[in-house]
Amino acid sequence: MEHVSNWLLLAPAGAFVVSAMLLFVIDSFDPESKHDTLLAAVTTAGAAVAMVISAALLLSGTADSGVELFGGQLVVDGMSLVFTFIFGSVTALVGLASADYIEDLPHKAEYYLLILLAATGMSLMASANSLAVVFVALELASLPSYALVAYLKTNRGSVEAALKYFLVGALSSSILAYGISLIYAATGSLLLPDVAAAAGEASELYTGVFGIGILMVLGGFAFKTASVPFHFWAPEAYEGAPAPVSAFLSSASKAAGFVVAFRVFVVAFPIDSVAGSVDWVLAFQVLAVLTMTLGNFAAATQENVKRMLAYSSIGHAGYVLIALAALTGLGDQGLVLGSGMLHLLVYGFMNTGAFLFVALAEYWNVGRTFRDYNGLGKEAPVACVAMTVFMFSLAGLPVGGGFLSKYFLIVGSVGAGVWWLGAVLAVNSALSLFYYSRVVKAMWIDEPDEPREIERYPTALYVAIVAAAVVTVALLPGILVFDSAAFDAAAALL
Amino acid sequence: MAGVFAYAPAIAALPFVSFVVALLAGKYMPKKGALAGIIATAGSLGLSIAVLVTVFLGETYNETLYTFVGGDVPFELTFGLLLDPLSAAMLVIVSLIAFLVHVFSLGYMNDEGETGLPRYYASLGLFTASMLAFVFSDNLLMAFMFFELVGLCSYLLIGFWFRRAGPPSAAKKAFLVTRFGDYFFLVGVVGVLTTFGTAQFAGENGFPALAETVLNPETTADAVNTFGFEPATWFAILGLLVLGGVMGKSAQFPFHTWLPDAMEGPTPVSALIHAATMVAAGVFLVARMYGFYALLPTVLAVIAFVGGFTALFAATMGVVKNEIKQVLAYSTISQYGYIMLALGTGGYVAAFFHLTTHAVFKALLFLGAGSVIIAMHHNENMWDMGGLKDHMRVTYLAFLSGSLALAGIFPFSGFWSKDEVLYEALVHGLGGSPLLLGAYAMGLAAVFLTGFYTIRMVLLTFHGEARSDTAEDPHGVRWNVKFPLAVLGILAAVIGFLNPLPIKKLTGLEVDFLHQFLDSGPEALLTSSHHYSGLTHDYAGYSVGTIGGGEIVTLLAGAGASLGLALLGAGLAFALYRGAEPTRHTEKLGGLQTLLMHNYYQDEYQVWLAEGLTLRLSGAADTFDQGVIDGVVNGVSSVSLFSGDRLRRLQTGIVTNYAALIVLSLLVLLGVFAALGGWF
Repeated sequence: MEHVSNWLLLAPAGAFVVSAMLLFVIDSFDPESKHDTLLAAVTTAGAAVAMVISAALLLSGTADSGVELFGGQLVVDGMSLVFTFIFGSVTALVGLASADYIEDLPHKAEYYLLILLAATGMSLMASANSLAVVFVALELASLPSYALVAYLKTNRGSVEAALKYFLVGALSSSILAYGISLIYAATGSLLLPDVAAAAGEASELYTGVFGIGILMVLGGFAFKTASVPFHFWAPEAYEGAPAPVSAFLSSASKAAGFVVAFRVFVVAFPIDSVAGSVDWVLAFQVLAVLTMTLGNFAAATQENVKRMLAYSSIGHAGYVLIALAALTGLGDQGLVLGSGMLHLLVYGFMNTGAFLFVALAEYWNVGRTFRDYNGLGKEAPVACVAMTVFMFSLAGLPVGGGFLSKYFLIVGSVGAGVWWLGAVLAVNSALSLFYYSRVVKAMWIDEPDEPREIERYPTALYVAIVAAAVVTVALLPGILVFDSAAFDAAAALL
Repeated sequence: MAGVFAYAPAIAALPFVSFVVALLAGKYMPKKGALAGIIATAGSLGLSIAVLVTVFLGETYNETLYTFVGGDVPFELTFGLLLDPLSAAMLVIVSLIAFLVHVFSLGYMNDEGETGLPRYYASLGLFTASMLAFVFSDNLLMAFMFFELVGLCSYLLIGFWFRRAGPPSAAKKAFLVTRFGDYFFLVGVVGVLTTFGTAQFAGENGFPALAETVLNPETTADAVNTFGFEPATWFAILGLLVLGGVMGKSAQFPFHTWLPDAMEGPTPVSALIHAATMVAAGVFLVARMYGFYALLPTVLAVIAFVGGFTALFAATMGVVKNEIKQVLAYSTISQYGYIMLALGTGGYVAAFFHLTTHAVFKALLFLGAGSVIIAMHHNENMWDMGGLKDHMRVTYLAFLSGSLALAGIFPFSGFWSKDEVLYEALVHGLGGSPLLLGAYAMGLAAVFLTGFYTIRMVLLTFHGEARSDTAEDPHGVRWNVKFPLAVLGILAAVIGFLNPLPIKKLTGLEVDFLHQFLDSGPEALLTSSHHYSGLTHDYAGYSVGTIGGGEIVTLLAGAGASLGLALLGAGLAFALYRGAEPTRHTEKLGGLQTLLMHNYYQDEYQVWLAEGLTLRLSGAADTFDQGVIDGVVNGVSSVSLFSGDRLRRLQTGIVTNYAALIVLSLLVLLGVFAALGGWF
């Protein structure tokens, strides 16, 4: 029986669940409520509470050594708190921005509910300490996501994207489930520490079975993180979905995939024991290079801003994969893994902000391509300044936290003896500057084809964008608050 | 009383606030930011005096206040304050001069209706703030940072009139030449940090103390990283690297070329640069880390020779100049040469003494020149002046006091300090380091030239008949010009009595106040002057020698020689340039005049270095960049766009294709790893 206070460590996930329940209640008493601000407020407040609690727990060091719950099925440690913080912040921004975006659409309560349930699933993914929980939590996060992508029911693009997303997701889930079953067959356990204990023996006795299992699990996670070759759903889903949902999926859902990958591979498959069966570090190195390169190259040729962001999001998944690909046992491994977490943290703000700007553009019906953004800087300078910050920070220029987190990734990979991964990152970042600055150029320099007039400036969406921009910039110096937390969390895991 | 140290950071913070105020709100203020600057520097002056008194009473302060890179790193990077006799005295000098320059600027800038005043006062405030912070820095890295800020501000101020042709170019030159020296300084800072793991100036854990324990054969020290060199050799390299920055800032040969051009800036700025900030920063740094230099005989000899040579070399050029500020500029270079000479010959106190007196009389001379320039409607040519003494009494008397001090005429302040500098060089040269006698000889020769050009300047400017219409009817100046001149004029006459060494030696009275003050302070800081003389004695082999019948004879011979030469120079100038209509005599020098007027073609060869060599190298690099690098980059971008386009086609939009691709790639992955892992 765990101590009662340990249950408090699940409070961030609890905050998501409680606010989801609250929305249930509101919806049952007042279906098709006209009080849309109430729904958005509950969502944002719940997410903000989750964010604050996880930050407080993280900085207080309560869970530094990791606390196991439910007989080891769940674990709360530094890493899970860092990621719950990311989920909380992204959900809060998305919830706030959605207030304006879905103003005129039906089924608002369901929309917010699905977001909160997905967030619950993600926070469970961050704490999952057994392969069974991993699978269930991953599905809890995925199923609401499919529905959210299809939220624009009358829009063919939205529905088609959701169906593709669901089909690829189903395929990936089956691969993951099959992989898990093979691992259970080889090791006799689903609990990550027990899998690790049996890994050495399993890779000797059941080399092939165990190896196939690990690679299939890797494939399942690659789906969630939108890594090559499981990325096909991502451009379509991000483009078809309502823009706040794209923000949610590309930031929070991707981070959730990574936290699970981090924990499962680092805890359950210690590379020393499983290297005889499958060298998953090498596999991640291949995936990282492919994902970075494919994402950025494809992004460079897009004409549609949202689709460009979708591909750039794949590229960023490749950057974060370095955190796993550089676990060579050399250098400061805590720095390697921690830099991946930091990049996801910063990415949670800058990428969410960028998609929310697209949401704003959709709200104004200015169009989807780079050309359509021409001259927006004159009409909406505040939002365009924020977008400029997001773009440059995503490219890794020192205007926002993106510079430092990329810097840490490069330092980590150089320290781990895989400097070439850092070099690929640097080359890809240089390429990404090209397409990111196209947005900036369109907004500030190019003249619009025809004069346009913006009539309404949605407050909540603006607040969300500006907040994301402020945090992105503040993370440049402020990352120092988090870097020791992230590095410690990573070191504790290793 | 020690509580005043808690407020010491405000000494630099106050002028910084005035910088912010002048920058943001200057144009709305009645005097465009001048009042903020005056109040701030007055506050700094007050606090500095309080600090000086506290230090005088025996308290010192050496604390780290802020660690900006700390924790698990090989060495910490910190900000802190070191308030010992040296820095306390320097703080008073800097804030006093800065205060007077601010007041004077009211007359020179505001009354003359200049535009851009908020910018001017903002730069002046930042300039003062960075110099003050440099002075109380407790470690080399912090000193370097503020050293650079000082350089930046001098760039801003020299180029203040950026719409004219000259000032921007002079500002660039000052910036580039000093920056060239600072490269070496920066490498030196990094070297000191990696060698000792600390850049603290004072105390047992300071790098001078660590270097001493390494070099001392009687103590066993923790090994420091000397990169495979002998410790003494490596320390000498470090010392020379830092010296690069010092020589750039203090305008020592061959980096002196920026300083005469810097006259393009407003005259109050010249006063500040020459007397108390920019140029003083260099020599102050040597004094600040004297515990390190005192261990290195080779570097000391280099310092002494550079100083002696610069003193003589600059003085020869000052002889032929026609513009009042040019003469002063070369005199500054020459006088800083003396300070370097003193530092190189083990005269730590003498160096700081000359720094002090020079700060006073050179600020005075520049402000006096500024007053003359106001009167002459911004004509600086001395041949257009003449007869001004009857029109501007206060300026004339103050300027005369400063000139006599500069020329080293008894009993004005310059005499005492210059005499002590030369005395230190002489006795240490006699006492077993005969090389130093060469530097001494150059310094002595420069005394003659100094006397000559100083008196020539006074005669041409103030005496004789007016040689132009403006000189007939000069423009008047107000209290805000006269007040600083009066203060400094009196100080220039009397400040030599801070440390009249000959009086002490002759009468036995304990009147060497500055010496006693610099010798006070707790032993633990290891910054007292007797500690330094111990070091120069033990490590550099400096000891005191005499001629004839002992110390008194040596003293009198040295003082007599320098005073005699100064009087001789002054007398020659008086003979040549007195009378109502002085004639030009420089033509008589023939080819030598051309050489001197062209400053020994120093600028020409440096321009050749910049244009002939560097520019061509850069051109080659540019060709390489445009052709090869850009070619590669353009190639890469075409390839990326092409392959990006291909990749895009992979995304067919048909979900069955996706499923097939996913499964196929998973199978490929499995196949490759199966082969690698030997599963079959």
